[in-house]
Amino acid sequence: MASFTMKIHCFQRNFSFSSSALVPVQLPSRMETHFWYILPDEVKSATLLNQYLDILSPCEKENVLRMHGDNLKKSALLARALVRTTIARYQINSQVSPTSLKFRKNIYGKPEVDWQNHYDRNPPPLHFNISHTSSLIACGVTLDSPIGIDVEEKQRTTKNNILSFARRYFSPHEVESLSIISDPEIQRLEFLKLWTLKEAYVKALGRGFSAAPFKNFTIRFRAATKGHLHLSGNSNSKASEIIVESSDDPKTLTSNWQFALLELTGSHYAAICKEKDDDTVEGKGSVPMKLTVRKTIPFVEDQCISGKDALVLVGGL
Amino acid sequence: MASASGVSMSLSSITCSFKKNQVPISSLKSVSMPIKGKSFQSLRLRTGPSRLRVSCAAKPETVNKVCDIVRKQLALPADSEVTGESKFATLGADSLDTVEIVMGLEEEFGISVEEESAQGIATVQDAADLIEQLISNK
Repeated sequence: MASFTMKIHCFQRNFSFSSSALVPVQLPSRMETHFWYILPDEVKSATLLNQYLDILSPCEKENVLRMHGDNLKKSALLARALVRTTIARYQINSQVSPTSLKFRKNIYGKPEVDWQNHYDRNPPPLHFNISHTSSLIACGVTLDSPIGIDVEEKQRTTKNNILSFARRYFSPHEVESLSIISDPEIQRLEFLKLWTLKEAYVKALGRGFSAAPFKNFTIRFRAATKGHLHLSGNSNSKASEIIVESSDDPKTLTSNWQFALLELTGSHYAAICKEKDDDTVEGKGSVPMKLTVRKTIPFVEDQCISGKDALVLVGGL
Repeated sequence: MASASGVSMSLSSITCSFKKNQVPISSLKSVSMPIKGKSFQSLRLRTGPSRLRVSCAAKPETVNKVCDIVRKQLALPADSEVTGESKFATLGADSLDTVEIVMGLEEEFGISVEEESAQGIATVQDAADLIEQLISNK
């Protein structure tokens, strides 16, 4: 990868590649979440990387090239390319192409699409959120409801002791649920699940981290038995659901958010948090998230993922 | 540290400390630092064309300590370029790294960083400035 930057600059356009069109996709329904991801290791072609670089805005290109080292440059590039190509697939308007899309940040700094002159009025209420690790980059898309996602490598370790970290940043209930786990490896995995879910929630809220300090809310798992508030604590049970509770008022379930936790290709956790549709019955039993997972190499191939490659751990389909 | 001459504070850390008092920078005519019991003996105020700039930089030792903690967290080689201007994001820090770095800084310097202040940290310099501000508040 040492020649990454070199190739970008030396690349000669001697012949044109038929820029294979992005396979268009239907907008998600209000109940659905689309989850797209790229594995950087599967993208090796310098030609393709240049194609991705070409669809970025000048500002995005600058940011990519400013990253330290080839791997960081590559993931920054793929993250922007993923967002642009993904949103352009929804074929909302024939004038929308990956390159023509514009982005802005809301007043709290959360990125969103700036439909600008693509629409005079009523732009489609498409929401998205991205997350990346060096080995996986993901983009979640919804219609008409805020979304937050977070991905993390299962192998990820913390420099700090897990319980010290949790005591500093997590809620007392969460520290409690981690401290009763005796196997350090399981404890680490449960920690990562909580971390990604908390991150996804805060990103879905979209008001910055200070608006929802990690200590002030608790994520927990419970068995999704109708009418039964039974804290099973077993996050591997497919029958359980994920809920978030505010520390300020523990009796109130912040019931307008739904979560899903996935294990991707056996190597990553992905947490998804989405605001529930208004029409959904609140609080009475769990509402499964309708999830479509796709692995993609934009302009090359898309693959619908199910079964063992995208195991839904909690928050079933 | 507070009485060192030639104190210069970066705008981002001024913004962090003023957020709570809701003082818009543009309306500042004289700077009264909301730092308990300390007064800056010499403070250079440079008024630019449209805004007030107060410049104040953390000690090099502080910046270096922050660089070390960042290098350790991100497992960067000892010779990798990490300076005051380095942005955490461009060094490859994700949110978990950033939170761990803040925790490392809290332990190293014996301070407590609130979410609001942590959110404003983009560069090594921001972190160092915040640390010194919090130390001088103690």
